[in-house]
Amino acid sequence: MSNSTSPLLGYPRPDGRWGFRNHILILPLHQALSTAARDIAEATPGAVAISHDWSGEIDKDFERITKTFAGFAGNPNIFTTVALTIGTEVETGIIERAKRFSPTPLVEIKLSDAGSMFKLVTSALEKATELAEQAAAQPRTPAPWSSVVLGLECGGSDAYSGITANPALGVASDRLVEFGATSILAETMEILGAEHLLAARALDPKVGAQIIEVVARYERSINYEGIDIRGAQPSRGNIEGGLSTLEEKSLGAAKKAGNAPFTGVLEYADRPTAPGLYFMDTPGHDIEQLTGFAAADVNITVFTTGRGTPTGSAVIPTIKVATNSEMGLVLTDLIDINAGTISDGTETLEEVGQIIFDEIIRVANGQLTKAEHGKHHEFNLSRLYGSTL
Amino acid sequence: MSLPEIWGFQHEGRGVGIRHHQLILPSVVCSTVVSRRIAQEVGGITFAHQHGCAIIGVDVAGIDDFFIALASHPNVGSVLVVGLGCETTQGNELAEKITKLTKSTEYLVIQNSGGVEGTVANGAAAARDLAVTYSHFPYPLEELVVGIELSRDVEIEPLLTELTHMGIKYVIISEAGGSAKHFSMLMSQKVHLIISFPDGNQPPSGFPLIPVLNVASNSPLHQAISSEFDLQSDATAKDMLEKIISTADHTKTISEQNQSGEILVPRLVRSV
Repeated sequence: MSNSTSPLLGYPRPDGRWGFRNHILILPLHQALSTAARDIAEATPGAVAISHDWSGEIDKDFERITKTFAGFAGNPNIFTTVALTIGTEVETGIIERAKRFSPTPLVEIKLSDAGSMFKLVTSALEKATELAEQAAAQPRTPAPWSSVVLGLECGGSDAYSGITANPALGVASDRLVEFGATSILAETMEILGAEHLLAARALDPKVGAQIIEVVARYERSINYEGIDIRGAQPSRGNIEGGLSTLEEKSLGAAKKAGNAPFTGVLEYADRPTAPGLYFMDTPGHDIEQLTGFAAADVNITVFTTGRGTPTGSAVIPTIKVATNSEMGLVLTDLIDINAGTISDGTETLEEVGQIIFDEIIRVANGQLTKAEHGKHHEFNLSRLYGSTL
Repeated sequence: MSLPEIWGFQHEGRGVGIRHHQLILPSVVCSTVVSRRIAQEVGGITFAHQHGCAIIGVDVAGIDDFFIALASHPNVGSVLVVGLGCETTQGNELAEKITKLTKSTEYLVIQNSGGVEGTVANGAAAARDLAVTYSHFPYPLEELVVGIELSRDVEIEPLLTELTHMGIKYVIISEAGGSAKHFSMLMSQKVHLIISFPDGNQPPSGFPLIPVLNVASNSPLHQAISSEFDLQSDATAKDMLEKIISTADHTKTISEQNQSGEILVPRLVRSV
């Protein structure tokens, strides 16, 4: 494991970023085009699609939503994004922003130019097929450790999360960060109560203060709704899994980020600019988080789960790690790695950390995850509605 | 005049509908992909959404109420609720609430059904059983309720006169913005079908479960995609009435043919 020569093989992008997949993304910029996007992706090998419920509303969440779409369209795992639009100015704004964000090629197909849904689907299919062939012909090339932008996620936590899967993921994350990769911890609710421990690991005291402030801001935002988050969490599923308090959940959740120092704090869907370990302010909602990761250049995610969940992303391979063998050995079509062996006493934390590290490399190099096999392409727009930030 | 004879479907606990849909209802975002696979296998209707987990405050009851309204809509013949297991909106509790309104309900939980493949297999079997038990039961439509969605300024009086004349009830939502939000509001009012007058900068939209007739305006966008509209900008109130009646009498709308239209679930509070 001390060998620091990178075995990674990826797709270099013109601005120095790296992808570990070479998807054609069919991105509808209006909800009325979601079905068309799905149909196009289903008919095109190598293409993926998302669907959503946004109709171009310009409200309080407009900035958050346009940033998400623009970032998502430029994720480095994408060879080219084919954006389906109605042909409105709002959509043009998102496309311009996506182009400014990244040089990931983007093709726009407008319903107003096509003249009908049938013609839109026909011309998008033709374009997507041609692009998918080009993408398939691009070879993987040796990639440095810094090509990895790892997303750390957990969902459906239980009492084992903090002693098995999360610290094992921390071992893998620490090693990647040490080698020069980027790793992002998120889910603000899930560091609430542990923020002082993370702040103490900040490289710069300013970053430590930001971690404390982001958590305080989050708690204010939930208090504003008249809710005591420490009463509303852990969730019922967490309690059934044996967790007693939010602080206990947080102390376990934070272990995903190992012991590396924190380089910076990111707002939702903002991209890291240099390697290192970051904290991103996202909801604990699994898919809002994963969507924010995709918009922020994350190209591989490890997702620990106590209860088991099938979800994934259209553009980021998502490796599922079970926290306990009771679930991990049963829900085998959701779970890639069982870390329950740590509490079973058959493997050590360090050994499972090595297994996760090796799996990250294999998946980065092309092995499909369970969520990819199942085509779990969930996508959610994170909205704040009337809530304050 | 009164409504011509139209045969609808008697749906236990829901009244008479103009469509006979089976709803595969994911109680949480995490079960939407599994729900789609089940729906594809059995020919049911489902939709992707991002709710059911990490919700707080008024949204907890709000999401429940919205899903219950969908499940008890008159165009629905039976419902299969698919949950994950650890979410806030517990699938079994949601199914129990729906069962109080109509017995044509089953539920499945991914975490207790052997994962994805087990849930798809069990779900498809359960959905088929439901479809047999609560099958087509043609029944004369005594009352037709039409939702009128006005996202732009329209001279609507002539249509209202025609509807009243024909004994057709209606509910109007008149509000600027995207149609999807208005469709959800009309769904909760149990309208059988919707006639929509979208904003000139918005495309025609559909709604799973409810046939939507889209009427074009003279805007450049609508004129550029006029074939996507069921009724053109020069359609008279009589034309609209005729379409409403033929749609109630089983003719599919364009959005039904395309199976297009996402459901916008109303939310008030951010996710935690």
